[in-house]
Amino acid sequence: MENVSFRTTVLPLSDRLFRIALRITMNRAEAEDVVQDTLLRVWECRSEWEQIGSLEAFAIATCRNRALDVTKRAGRNNASLDKIDSAQPSIFNLQSSIEAREQLSIVRRLMDDLPEVQRTIMLLRDIEGKTYQEIAQLLDISETQVKVYLHRARTKIKERIWIINT
Amino acid sequence: MDYKYIEQLLERYWECQTTLEEEAILRNFFRQEDVPASLLPYRQFFIEQDEVAAEHVSEDFQERMLRLVGEDVPTRVCKAHRLTFMRRCRPFYRAAGLVAILLTIGNAAHQSFSDEDVADTTPQMAEGIAADSLQQITIDKPEQQSAELKALPTDTVSKHTR
Repeated sequence: MENVSFRTTVLPLSDRLFRIALRITMNRAEAEDVVQDTLLRVWECRSEWEQIGSLEAFAIATCRNRALDVTKRAGRNNASLDKIDSAQPSIFNLQSSIEAREQLSIVRRLMDDLPEVQRTIMLLRDIEGKTYQEIAQLLDISETQVKVYLHRARTKIKERIWIINT
Repeated sequence: MDYKYIEQLLERYWECQTTLEEEAILRNFFRQEDVPASLLPYRQFFIEQDEVAAEHVSEDFQERMLRLVGEDVPTRVCKAHRLTFMRRCRPFYRAAGLVAILLTIGNAAHQSFSDEDVADTTPQMAEGIAADSLQQITIDKPEQQSAELKALPTDTVSKHTR
């Protein structure tokens, strides 16, 4: 394990982890901080990688937990980007909230309004292209649970799209 | 066009019964502009999945991380070369050189074809010309020429004087 390189083993996970952290924290700067902490944690544990099994699963679990901690500490569990932005009126956040609102699209609104587990599962399936089995392993839940959560998420999105268009 | 297959796929998508490949087919279908009105409401949803997938960490993130763990940051080699006037004109010089070579070859070919009359000289005519020349030499320097002729074998002399 002495010859492993951070650049080739851990760093390639950064974008994937960032998307997961961003869907939970709803804030780019916080999401980057979460990814940074996660990557450093994964790197520090490199002597245990052989016992860990899937490095990606370990990194995703760490990232998700850290992102949830951040949102919990900020007292905005599962809040959407709109709600967070209106709750932070500083100049920096005001600017970032304007940018965020501009970029906030229908899908992101719909996805961001889902409960965190559904949101993460939808992201792993629809954006990261993971199988139900892989998602179950990554989140340490059963495949059936994955399908149930995903079904709930998609049903909600379908209903909302239908409401928006009628 | 029959969109029944797509409609069926879409229904199965909402019910979580599609495979990853079928979901990719749906995404590809909705990427195109020409989508029927009945399916149009769902287009934005699938298109924006691509946008979410393109979200990434900021540009300097990887550099920061490499510095934090003490790994070498790859240096971006981007050398700016100052182009001199001569260097800028290099393609023209090359083109001019090529044209010059072609012209030289063309001229040489032309000249060799135009000298055909010399090539067409018959052996009899050549002998006549040679005899005239020898006679001329004999007239110009008779003593020297006669001494040289005496020194030559007789058959050679007869050839020269013929």
